[in-house]
Amino acid sequence: MSDNPYALEKAKVLRVYDLTETEKLFLFRFENSEIAENWTFKPGQFVQLTIPGVGEVPISICSSPMRKGFFELCIRRIGRVTTVIHRLKPGDTVLVRGPYGNGFPVDEWEGMDLLIIAAGLGTAPLRSVFLYAMDNRWKFGNITFINTARYGKELLFYKELEAIRDLAEAENVKIIQSVTRDKEWKGLKGRPQQFIVEANTNPKKTAVTVCGPPRMYRDVFETLINYGYRPENIYVTLERRMKCGIGKCGHCNVGTSTSWKYICKDGPVFGYFDIVSTPGLLD
Amino acid sequence: MRYVKLPKENIYDFLERLKDYGKLYAPVKISEKFYDFREVDDVKKIEFHYNRTIMPPKKFFFLPREKMFEFSISKAEYKETIENVEPFVVFGLHACDIFALKIMDTIYLDEFPDKYYKVRREKGIIIGISCMPDEYCFCNLRETDFADDGFDLFLHELPDGYLVRVGTPIGHRIVDKSIKLFEEVTSQDICDFREFEKKREESFKYHEDWGSLRYLLELEMEHPMWDEQSELCLACGNCNTTCPTCRCYEVQDIPNLDGDTGVRIRRWDSCQLRSHGLVAGNHNFRPTKRSRFMNRYLCKNSYNEKLGLSYCVGCGRCTYFCPAGISFVKNLRTIMGLEDKSCPPEISEEIPKRGFAYGGAKQ
Ligand SMILES: Cc1cc2nc3c(=O)[nH]c(=O)nc-3n(C[C@H](O)[C@H](O)[C@H](O)COP(=O)(O)OP(=O)(O)OC[C@H]3O[C@@H](n4cnc5c(N)ncnc54)[C@H](O)[C@@H]3O)c2cc1C
Ligand code: SF4
Ligand code: SF4
Ligand code: FES
Repeated sequence: MSDNPYALEKAKVLRVYDLTETEKLFLFRFENSEIAENWTFKPGQFVQLTIPGVGEVPISICSSPMRKGFFELCIRRIGRVTTVIHRLKPGDTVLVRGPYGNGFPVDEWEGMDLLIIAAGLGTAPLRSVFLYAMDNRWKFGNITFINTARYGKELLFYKELEAIRDLAEAENVKIIQSVTRDKEWKGLKGRPQQFIVEANTNPKKTAVTVCGPPRMYRDVFETLINYGYRPENIYVTLERRMKCGIGKCGHCNVGTSTSWKYICKDGPVFGYFDIVSTPGLLD
Repeated sequence: MRYVKLPKENIYDFLERLKDYGKLYAPVKISEKFYDFREVDDVKKIEFHYNRTIMPPKKFFFLPREKMFEFSISKAEYKETIENVEPFVVFGLHACDIFALKIMDTIYLDEFPDKYYKVRREKGIIIGISCMPDEYCFCNLRETDFADDGFDLFLHELPDGYLVRVGTPIGHRIVDKSIKLFEEVTSQDICDFREFEKKREESFKYHEDWGSLRYLLELEMEHPMWDEQSELCLACGNCNTTCPTCRCYEVQDIPNLDGDTGVRIRRWDSCQLRSHGLVAGNHNFRPTKRSRFMNRYLCKNSYNEKLGLSYCVGCGRCTYFCPAGISFVKNLRTIMGLEDKSCPPEISEEIPKRGFAYGGAKQ
């Protein structure tokens, strides 16, 4: 371990998949094989990815920590650094540090049902939770994954989830994929909260994870609580500008004088009661 | 704790000797109204009676701008660029600034110690000096008016010299190496020390309890003060730059002209600037001047759990150096109902305080 917390490790691009017009999935492996084999993380954690001379960006890890030796990042092309990332080809090298953040308390969820509610790019961090649960299927009860986007062509991991739908169904894993704006879409239409009623999970003993654009949370929370899901079991993962990832640069800070949080260090995963006691976390 | 006395006639010898430990920085007068910590050659230029320097001592440890890495772009390689830091002495810190460094330590030396800060902190010798408050000082209300630790030596002014508290092994060494310059503390010195502290305590402008401030700030997020005062704010960021505990930084990668090498630098940032909360897709988490203005008040008055203090140490800089004449203390006192006793203030409409949260809300 370097004594410099900003120290970077070389990671090689192994594969690049086009997911949508603006999102690609990158498969990475650390060049140092010892690190590659031993490096691990919790679902919900993120890395800081550097393109030397261009910049560094925080990106959620979207693979399962159970699958050692590589990790995956799903990256939307939206600005300076992510545009350069999108030009990466297999064999190219980037610099990475992490993992950072608290991650989801997956160990505490053993024996519980799992309800995953994702919208847009929120699917990326929650895919890690989903794959972790699939890899540790015996640790969880029933599982429902509600994956939504505005348009069908924006649904992240649509094909991957469709491909395992039947197999998953046999294992009490329900996959619901829906779009909110796409009139042409042949599949399900509707906002994520509309499908909570169809989940196969028992509200009294379900861990719920939610990730999506901030404005969706209020309705999702209200629906969940109305159906009897327990507020103490509801978790979200949030986003802010980040420059350090380790509670120093101050950019991700949010809160008020009694509850001051760093999204990078105290989060990005927060519980429902953190949100209620910390104005500014969601809005 | 060990106490010794430095007689007045020996002070310049003592300061001269400090140069044996490294470069000597101390407060000097830089203009009609302003003081700053500068490297001193002629120790006679050192100012013993100043209220606040324009730049806080954080600048010695957390540089306003510094290089972190050098990159080789095509090879995707980088090199750490931490210069070899030589020991140095900062003379003349007030208690509030010493507390401020302790607050910086809780951030920069936590479970991910920031190497760039740490190497300088380890090499910096800190010598404190007592002070007499002016009308901008409120460290007494922040409980940062008397430093118990965080210094190698601390000098308390007496009529005929200084009562010196020795805080660390380095402090002992400095005293022992120049032991001929020191004397034993006498009963009269203790009386003089007590007298000084009493006079100092009485000189503070406010003597009141701010225990409820944190809670009132939160309950009064719709108070008219926020609109009125943020309207005056020029968003220049002086309050952040001069604050001894503001530690936000921005990072930038800059390619060199050859196209194949580059550097990563970081520099002080300010939450009063629009860019502080701006993310990709042009979304801003603090889109208005009011929200950014409020952010500083909430950040500075939040609770540092490790030290049991607020992040503001009451140095008065953000008020003294504000070009718009905004008084941090006055605004906080307004929120506490100490400026204007009428309660509730005039309000146009009752805004829900959000206690009902989400589920079960009476919409
Ligand atoms: C915890 C966390 C997890 C994330 N996970 C993902 C993910 O899995 N996939 C993905 O595509 N995106 C993710 N993001 C968002 C991603 O970091 C931004 O889209 C990215 O930083 C934009 O960089 P840019 O240089 O392309 O954009 P520009 O607009 O050119 O940004 C310039 C700089 O501002 C900062 N910045 C801008 N937007 C953000 C932002 N939203 N969050 C933090 N810093 C920002 C970055 O330092 C960036 O280099 C995540 C953000 C956070 C905080
Ligand atoms: S907030 Fe103002 S008074 Fe408080 S420590 Fe910072 S500059 Fe000093
Ligand atoms: S958020 Fe603002 S007030 Fe807080 S440390 Fe950063 S610059 Fe200072
Ligand atoms: S990203 Fe720097 S403090 Fe959170």
